[in-house]
Amino acid sequence: MNFDWTDEDNQYRQDVREFLAEALPPGWSGYDKNNLPKYKEDAGKFSQALAQRGWLTQNWPREYGGQEASPWRHAILNEELWPIGEPRGSQYMNVNWIGPAIMAAGTPEQKAYHLKRISAGDVFWCQGFSEPDAGSDLPALRTRAVRDGDDYVVNGAKIWTSHVGTADFCFLLVRTDPEASKRAGISILLTPMDLPGLEVRHIPGFVGEQSFHHLIFTDARVPADCRLGEENRGWDIVRRALSYERVGASHYGRAELILDKVLDEAERTGLIDDPEIQSRIGEVEAAIAASRLLTYRVVDIRAHGSPPTADTNVSRVAQTQALRLAGELAHIVFGEEGLKAHSAGDVRRVLAFSVAAGTTEMQLDQIASGHLNLPIFRG
Amino acid sequence: MDLTPNDVQRQILDSVGRILERRTDPQRTRSLLESGQYDIELHADLAEAGFLALPLSGAGPLEAALVCERVAEKAGLITTAATGLVFPMVANKVAPGPVALADGPDKPFRMGQFAKVILVLDGDRALMLSPSLDDVEPVANDRTGWPLAKLSRQALSNAESLGPGSAERLRNWWRTAIAVEAAGVMRGAVATTARYVTERIQFGRPIGTFQTIQHRLAQMTVQVEGVYWLALEAAYRNAEPLFASRAATWAASAAPLVLRETQQMHGAIGFTREYPLHLWTMRLPALQRELGGLSSHARFTAKLRAKQRVEPLTPAIERSTA
Repeated sequence: MNFDWTDEDNQYRQDVREFLAEALPPGWSGYDKNNLPKYKEDAGKFSQALAQRGWLTQNWPREYGGQEASPWRHAILNEELWPIGEPRGSQYMNVNWIGPAIMAAGTPEQKAYHLKRISAGDVFWCQGFSEPDAGSDLPALRTRAVRDGDDYVVNGAKIWTSHVGTADFCFLLVRTDPEASKRAGISILLTPMDLPGLEVRHIPGFVGEQSFHHLIFTDARVPADCRLGEENRGWDIVRRALSYERVGASHYGRAELILDKVLDEAERTGLIDDPEIQSRIGEVEAAIAASRLLTYRVVDIRAHGSPPTADTNVSRVAQTQALRLAGELAHIVFGEEGLKAHSAGDVRRVLAFSVAAGTTEMQLDQIASGHLNLPIFRG
Repeated sequence: MDLTPNDVQRQILDSVGRILERRTDPQRTRSLLESGQYDIELHADLAEAGFLALPLSGAGPLEAALVCERVAEKAGLITTAATGLVFPMVANKVAPGPVALADGPDKPFRMGQFAKVILVLDGDRALMLSPSLDDVEPVANDRTGWPLAKLSRQALSNAESLGPGSAERLRNWWRTAIAVEAAGVMRGAVATTARYVTERIQFGRPIGTFQTIQHRLAQMTVQVEGVYWLALEAAYRNAEPLFASRAATWAASAAPLVLRETQQMHGAIGFTREYPLHLWTMRLPALQRELGGLSSHARFTAKLRAKQRVEPLTPAIERSTA
C-alpha cells in the first residue's frame, strides 16, 4: 500500500496537460456546447487527437486498439478532462463502458465495426436506458422489441437521454421477452440514430441545455445483428457496464475547482475571516480529499484485476456529496451573484449529479447489500 | 499508487488479527473498563510482537496506523495510537509503556492514569512527562468510553521539553492518530449495528431490511470509509499538516453522525452496559473533541488549503459551462 504516483504517472499527467494546452478547441473556456454541429466537430477532433496519441482507449487491450495501460493512467486522464468540461463530449462513455461492454459480449463483426471507430475517436454514442416508467427501477423498462425476420421492430420511449444531439449510435435497452421476470427479458440493441421510426424530442431543462431528450420509437426496425449478446441476457452485460460508468467521471476534480473559486471570492469579500465559512471550507476540502481516495480505491481494485465491488457505489456517493457541499458553499459565498445562471455560485451546477448515472438512493441500496450485507426483504 | 496491502502489511494485519481475536472479546473489554483497568495483556502482546514500535523498526507510520485502526475497530482498551504511532514519530524512540496525550495542563485526557509517558501540548512546546503517582488523577466518569485523567498542578514541573517545532509535530501526529482511531471505532460501531439490524426482528422482518435503516447505514459507511483512507494517507504522508488536519476534520465530522445513528438503530438495548455498542460509541465524543474538535481542525484545514490552490490544469483553462 502506498499513496505515491509513479514517475511515469507524473510524467503522463504532465504530458496530458501539455497536450491540452495545444488540443483544446479555441475558446474552450466558456465554450458554448449548445451549438451542436460545432461542438460535435470540436469534440470529434479532440478525441481523434487523443486517439492519435494512443490515449483515447489506452486502457483497452491491444487487440482492440488499446495499449493495456494501467487503470491509473486512465484515471489520470479522466481527472484532467472531467473538471474542465470533458472535451471528449460523450465519447468518455464509449471508452469507459460502451466499448468494454462490446468487447465482453460482441460478435467479431460488432467488435471490428464499433471498437475500431470508438478507439479512433470517430463516433458518438448515447445511452437509451431510462423510460417514463423505468428510472431507478431500470429493469422495469418496457420499450418492446419484437423479432420479425432479420430485424427487431421496436416500439416504446426512452426519456432523460443525454448527448442525443451528437450521437451516432444508441446503446439501447429493450424488452424482448415480456413474460420473463423483469431482468430476464432484456436485450441490448446497438442502434443507429438515423433509424426511420425514431423521433427525437428535446426536453428543455435547467442543468445543461442538452441534458434531456425523449426518444420515441414507432415500428423502428433495428437489424437483428445489432443485438449485443444473447437475446434476453442483456441485463448482466449492463450491470457490469454500469459499474464502470459510475467512476468514469471525476467529480471531485470539479469540486476542487469550485472550492478554488470559493476561496478567491471569500478572500475578495473578506468572508474568509468568518469562522463559520472557514470551517465549511475545511469540511469541503476534507470531503473532496476523501472522495478522491475512495475513487482511487476503485481504480486500485481494477488495477489488481479484481471484479467490481460496492466500493464503486461508495465512491459515487462520496463524490456527489463533495460536489454538493462545494456547490452549496459556493452558493453562500457568492451571495446574490449565485442566483445568476452559470455563475460560480449557481447551485444548479451541482444538483443533477446525485441523480445521473444511478441516483444516490440506488447507490446506497448497493452499499447496503454489497458492502454491509444487509438482508433483503422477500415479503 | 497502490491501495492494496502488500505482503508485509498483510502479514502484520493477520498477526494483529490473531492477537485481537485472543484478547478483545467485548465481555472482557467491558469488565476491564468497569473495574477501571488498562488491558495490560493486550498491550504486552502487541509490544512483544513489535507492533507498538513499527515506525522505528523498518516498517513505517502507515503500518503503525493499520495496526492502530484494527485495535480500535476491536475496541481494545489500550492507547495504541499514542503509544505505537504518535510517540515513536514525535520522540523518535520506542515507548517504554502506555503513552497518553494531553492538550495543555488543564483538560481531562484519555487513559492518563495508566500512562508511563505523557506527551503534553503546552502552547508552542511539546513536553514529555514520566508521571509519578501524584502527577495524574483519574476523572470520574460513568465507566463508559475512555477512562479519563487530569494532570495535577505540579506535574509539568518535571516535564522535559521536546524542543523547537515539537508542538507542531505532536499536533500533526495527534490529528493523524485521532483520524486513525476514529476510523477504527466508527467501523466497529457500524459493523456492530449492521449485525444487530440483521438479527433484530420487528414487524415480522429484520429491521435491516427497511430502506430507512439501510440507507442511513450505507451513508455512514461512505463517511467512515472516507475517514479510514484519509487517515492512512495522512500516516503515509508523515502527518503533513494538510493531510493530518483534513483527516481529523472528516473524522470529527463523521463522529456525531455515527454516534447518533448507531445508538438510534439499536433502540433501548444500545444504552445498556451489558450490550457492547457503548464500547465504540462512547469513545467518539472524546475523540471528536480533542485538539479543539471539528471547528479547529476544519479551520486549520481551510487556512492550509487557501495557501495551496489547485495547480492550474493548463494555462488559462477554466471550467466550461457544462
